[in-house]
Amino acid sequence: MGRVIVVTSGKGGVGKSTTTANLGTALALLGKQVAVVDADVGLRNLDIIMGLESRVVYTSMDVIEGTCDLEKALVKDRRVETLRLLAASQKNNKNDIQPEQMKKICRELQQTYDYVLIDSPAGIEQGFQNAAVGAQEALIVTTPEVAAVRDADRIIGLLQSMGITDMHLLINRLSARMVKAGDMMGQQDVIDILSINLLGVVPEDQEIVVSTNRGMPLTHDRGSGAGEAFKRIARRLEGHDVPIPEFRADNWFSSFFGKMFKWG
Amino acid sequence: MFQKLMRVLGREQRSKNVAKSRLQLILVQDRIGVDDEIMRKIQLELTELLGKYFELEADSVEMDLQREEESMALVANIPVIGLKSRQALQV
Repeated sequence: MGRVIVVTSGKGGVGKSTTTANLGTALALLGKQVAVVDADVGLRNLDIIMGLESRVVYTSMDVIEGTCDLEKALVKDRRVETLRLLAASQKNNKNDIQPEQMKKICRELQQTYDYVLIDSPAGIEQGFQNAAVGAQEALIVTTPEVAAVRDADRIIGLLQSMGITDMHLLINRLSARMVKAGDMMGQQDVIDILSINLLGVVPEDQEIVVSTNRGMPLTHDRGSGAGEAFKRIARRLEGHDVPIPEFRADNWFSSFFGKMFKWG
Repeated sequence: MFQKLMRVLGREQRSKNVAKSRLQLILVQDRIGVDDEIMRKIQLELTELLGKYFELEADSVEMDLQREEESMALVANIPVIGLKSRQALQV
């Protein structure tokens, strides 16, 4: 039986979809069977982040309405053999799907896939509830900023009341420079406040913008700070003991030199 | 510009520490689930009750839930003008 993990945050724009795409890709590159599910009905973006927008024929709505079966709706990623995407309908909205229907899809996917990552929409309404109802674990994505942390705390409370107790924290967009200067909360500060298990930290990385421009998750590439972080996080999820590195400088530095060494 | 100077001189508190304190306070309240409506009701009844004994400054009662070490406290600041007269108190 595969692991169903809802990737959620409360706050919008902190990197849920980016995390789902990159982490899903990283796990698949480790040889795992991975299905990523876009639960943001009406405002889908997992397909575009992964560069699979032109390959979507059927969505989760089609599966629910019986237009096609689940297997047919799953989009194959040509670059990664073991990765599939279940896209969200763009013309429906989140109230068109019932929690039981999402639960059924998760159950079915769990039979075949090692990991089912559900990309939750922002907020705490029907969309979020649909995304979480089929999950046994949650990956809470936050940035080290007051609004994001507050919303993450609320989401943690809601997930606990929904019966999900296996929680992992991902701190996204950490700037080593700002943390050093005292202008940004560091990972220990965030853990002190949220008190859940830290799965990993992803540094601020301009390469993320480039990766979404190209529709090529960073984990395909080598040497990018964020990409490498997602790879480490994937291995931690798998149970490997991978230490969280101390981020010393912001990424332009390491990615600049990283690129230089790639050429050599 | 001045703020940057103060920061450099180390006098102004690091913004990340301000953020952390504010968050810890806010989350205490969020977690208990004491919403604004309940706080208003408490404030109203508290003011009424104390108004039986004290002359109070109208609308100046401030209340807050604060974290104190391991526990939580409801802290109220109630500016008082004076005690009500014996007749009014009917003591």
